[in-house]
Amino acid sequence: MLGAFIALIVTFVPLGANALWPIPRSLQTGTTLLKLASSFDIKISVTNPPQDLVDAVSRTKGFIQNDKLQRLVVGRGANDSAALGSAPTLPGLTISLLNNNAPRAIATEAVQAIGTRSEGYSLTVPTDGTSAILTANSTLGLFRGLTTFEQLWYDSAGVTYSYQAPVKIVNDIPAFPYRGFMLDTARNFFPVADIKRTLDAMSWVKINTFHWHIVDSQSFPLDVPGFPEIASKGAYSSTEIYSPANIQDIVSYAAARGVDVMMEIDTPGHTAIIANSHPEHIACNQASPWTDFANEPPAGQLRLASAATTNFTASLISAIAQALPSKLFSTGGDELNTNCYAKDSQTQADLKSSGKTLEQALSTFTQATHKSLTDLGKTPVVWEEMVLEHTVTLPKDTVVMVWISSQHAASVASKNFRIVHAPSNYFYLDCGAGEWLGNDPTGNSWCDPFKTWQKSYTFDPFAGLSTAQRSLVLGGQQLLWAEQSSPENIDSIVWPRAASSAEIFWTGATLPDGTARNVGSALPRLHDIRYRMVRRGVRAIALQPHWCALRPGVCDLRA
Amino acid sequence: MLPFIAISVLLAITPAYAVWPIPRQYNVGSTPLRLSSSFSIKLSGVHNAPKDLLDAVARTTAYLRTDKLQALVPDRGASSAKAIRSAKTLNSLSLSISTNAKVRSISDEAIENIESRVEGYTLTIPADGSGAILKANSTLGLFRGLTTFGQLWYDWDGTTYSLEAPFDIVDAPAYPYRGLMLDTARNYFPVSDIKRTLDAMSWVKINTLHWHVVDSQSFPLVVPGFQELSSKGAYSASSVYTPADVKEIVQYAAARGIDVMAEIDTPGHTSIIAKAHPEHIACFEASPWAQFANEPPAGQLRLASPDTTKFTSALIKSAASLFPSKLFSTGGDELNANCYAKDAATQKDLASQGKTLEQALDTFTQATHGALKEIGKRAVVWEEMVLEHQVKLANDTLILVWISSDHVQAVAEKGFKLIHAASDFFYLDCGGGGWVGQNVLGNSWCDPFKTWQKAYSFNPVANLTAEQSALVLGGQHLLWTEQSSPHNMDPVIWPRAASSAELFWSGPGGDVGKALPRLHDVSFRFNQRGVKTIALQPLWCALRAGACDLDA
Repeated sequence: MLGAFIALIVTFVPLGANALWPIPRSLQTGTTLLKLASSFDIKISVTNPPQDLVDAVSRTKGFIQNDKLQRLVVGRGANDSAALGSAPTLPGLTISLLNNNAPRAIATEAVQAIGTRSEGYSLTVPTDGTSAILTANSTLGLFRGLTTFEQLWYDSAGVTYSYQAPVKIVNDIPAFPYRGFMLDTARNFFPVADIKRTLDAMSWVKINTFHWHIVDSQSFPLDVPGFPEIASKGAYSSTEIYSPANIQDIVSYAAARGVDVMMEIDTPGHTAIIANSHPEHIACNQASPWTDFANEPPAGQLRLASAATTNFTASLISAIAQALPSKLFSTGGDELNTNCYAKDSQTQADLKSSGKTLEQALSTFTQATHKSLTDLGKTPVVWEEMVLEHTVTLPKDTVVMVWISSQHAASVASKNFRIVHAPSNYFYLDCGAGEWLGNDPTGNSWCDPFKTWQKSYTFDPFAGLSTAQRSLVLGGQQLLWAEQSSPENIDSIVWPRAASSAEIFWTGATLPDGTARNVGSALPRLHDIRYRMVRRGVRAIALQPHWCALRPGVCDLRA
Repeated sequence: MLPFIAISVLLAITPAYAVWPIPRQYNVGSTPLRLSSSFSIKLSGVHNAPKDLLDAVARTTAYLRTDKLQALVPDRGASSAKAIRSAKTLNSLSLSISTNAKVRSISDEAIENIESRVEGYTLTIPADGSGAILKANSTLGLFRGLTTFGQLWYDWDGTTYSLEAPFDIVDAPAYPYRGLMLDTARNYFPVSDIKRTLDAMSWVKINTLHWHVVDSQSFPLVVPGFQELSSKGAYSASSVYTPADVKEIVQYAAARGIDVMAEIDTPGHTSIIAKAHPEHIACFEASPWAQFANEPPAGQLRLASPDTTKFTSALIKSAASLFPSKLFSTGGDELNANCYAKDAATQKDLASQGKTLEQALDTFTQATHGALKEIGKRAVVWEEMVLEHQVKLANDTLILVWISSDHVQAVAEKGFKLIHAASDFFYLDCGGGGWVGQNVLGNSWCDPFKTWQKAYSFNPVANLTAEQSALVLGGQHLLWTEQSSPHNMDPVIWPRAASSAELFWSGPGGDVGKALPRLHDVSFRFNQRGVKTIALQPLWCALRAGACDLDA
């Protein structure tokens, strides 16, 4: 009766709604149901496998056993039950390395210099009753392959199965070497357990760098050997501190999951809290009105023109960085407030006595802190202002994080520095939550609106760059500044959104079938990884009504 | 050395009064007082105290023992340690009912007619260690007073203390309706999540759960006589609310002073009914959905069909019978006229009856409202039923104003009592970005995010005459759950929903600067009690009242 006017949606066949996230760069799937044998096992065909590989295999087996994710289709896969009875079974998965080198730990591979890591793998899952085969050039690659393998499986009435066998993935290697996530643990504190859960989730989508913005003007939760007074006077409480043992615990946990921990000690701004133990090093500490002295309260910056402060800062950074295996370490450098220094009589006296301008003093200061890193064999990382707003001499291999706007990437590239994309207009997870400053009822989020996963997903890493400049792009990340976040909402504000950049920088611009990556085909897969995360205890937010999650495409704008 | 800079290191920390909503008359001192280790709450002044009052006392006693909330000051109370140690001790709180009327349970009081509930109380806590006294004219009032008492205390090193004795509190709500709406149809919320939310609501004296239980996406309510709706329309066999679940929720709520006002939205927002009764639904899952509904899937009750009208009336009667509340909402928002224009069955029904769509809507609505009236219930509707349609409604119908706070005046001009639920102030989902797929640049339709400050600054009687102002029963925050689920429920609701709780209890005109330290306090206390409230600011700010104000 309605036929003339209305196209009724009776069935909608999702094309290739593979669960995999990030989707491999090469992928062939079939349409055969394949059950895991009840005796399914993973065989490590590696001589002297490192313990973290053995542990990764047992985690994979655990996920396969416990995920019990039902397919996101109407009926949740109940229709598969009958056919599963006669479906072929997969007896096992054999993992092996393609070379005869002595295998190194995943943790060792994961902290190699960016650009030199070997993360690729190949995976075949046959339907002929033989075992699946996973191969790679490194244990890190095997780990990435295990992560992919885990995502193939669903549950129907207690049977673990795939509906897209056979699967063939040849040499799935990431498009970009840096795929990160940044967490700010200074505006509000996050216990070790929350960070570990986040590292797990990161590893599930092949994110390989934890950019840890560990301290800021509000609190200094890091206990630094030789500088215990900074945390004892600057942490929110004696229990809200990352001890050296906590740091080693987190770094090891991350590395075993293929994640490098790139720590940041933001300087010279964002350091007010250091004044609680070292007032001599901080200009305009808690100066009021704070808007004249900082981008947010409390004001306070390191006295960059002071030789004593420069020595102090370089030693502090050295003490922190030397305990970390990562080759990367960030000295920050964002939002330097010049008025703070203009009004600080000591800084003015220091500048006068040394005959330097503020910019010259900043260059001296930065070179000192960066030398403390290069002396340790580390590569400095800075926020974009250090190259775009200041005249600072930086090592040529310095990595620059673009945050203010995606449009600034081209300017950074024109200065020939390597880039990590972290633009607020695509990747800031905190945007859109309204004003957090007090006494401001009509205030809004400074970077409104909310950055949806769709918006993030459409980011083009090469926008505005010449072909020659493209090699400067190391990758990118989503970021959680924690003025309005805490352990109570970390899962739901981070996941699954942060998975969108994970796919951009693993998969690159094209899908395995050669077509352009697009939000339409991504959404069903993103729902899938979100529901899988929930099954694994990560409280990822709902992207849509469950009704939509079961019907790919039906809740699209023009459906 | 820093002549230009006013150093704020010694920023005076005014003790942040913990209580939320702030009592109408709230006099406090500055004397330290601690709870005795043998502190007890006595019910000797309440004859035959009902079980739910005894339970409420037990819960309050437990909170006093387990909250262990440290004061939100930089040293978390350390500098008060000496004063706390030498403070007088409070041994007891005595409750009494100040009328001779028969003592009723909190649960009975909580579901009285909205205009006739008695929620006031007086609370006196002397500074000299003599017993505290809580008086009210109802057990519901005593419960509100217990809630206040439970918020006054901090912990330092195992001692439960206040620095603000004596307390002299006389309190009663400015508005009788203080609600929270939860949509359990876009995504499902297990009973335990609803109960935790009810607890949190009661802590800020919210007295109504507006339960938008079903919608076009799912029908999780098991309605006696209509089980097929949930068996075919719930997300799964376990994603349902059985009559036993409903009873459990309703009782849990009532014992905490909360009335459960359920909503079966009609005639729109009903697509899922077609799974069991395709004969009753027009434009079921019609495409493109944007022509037939405000969000997918399309589908509306065939309001011109006598069969559908009978079905809907019987359904509402059965559903409403599950709830003891006097209030029940039949919805009525976002009716899509094109859906009916394109539905041959509806067009045929209209032609055979010689009615316009508006006339049919009137007949339909009077039938569903008549069904409610038969069982002693009062109808509640969304604003379109009075502002966009020509429907005859009973004079006592309550109107929920949601599209814009600017529409309040128009509703008041029609003489209806109203509940503030304006999307431009109270929608908790706004600002979450677009959720519809294939819409890269899509934004939240009601962007930006509604901060607690924005909601707190709402004026319930803006543009109303004195006479019209009397029509305002209160208001509420609302959580539509296209982008919410149990996983983010606590942080998306709390502590923001507390801002309307104070607005409608304490009355409008509150100062956001003074409110923030108290809101931090209630938020941190919620966390201590297991509700995962979101951080409003860095902890640094929460410990320094005013230091993170825009103009600090």
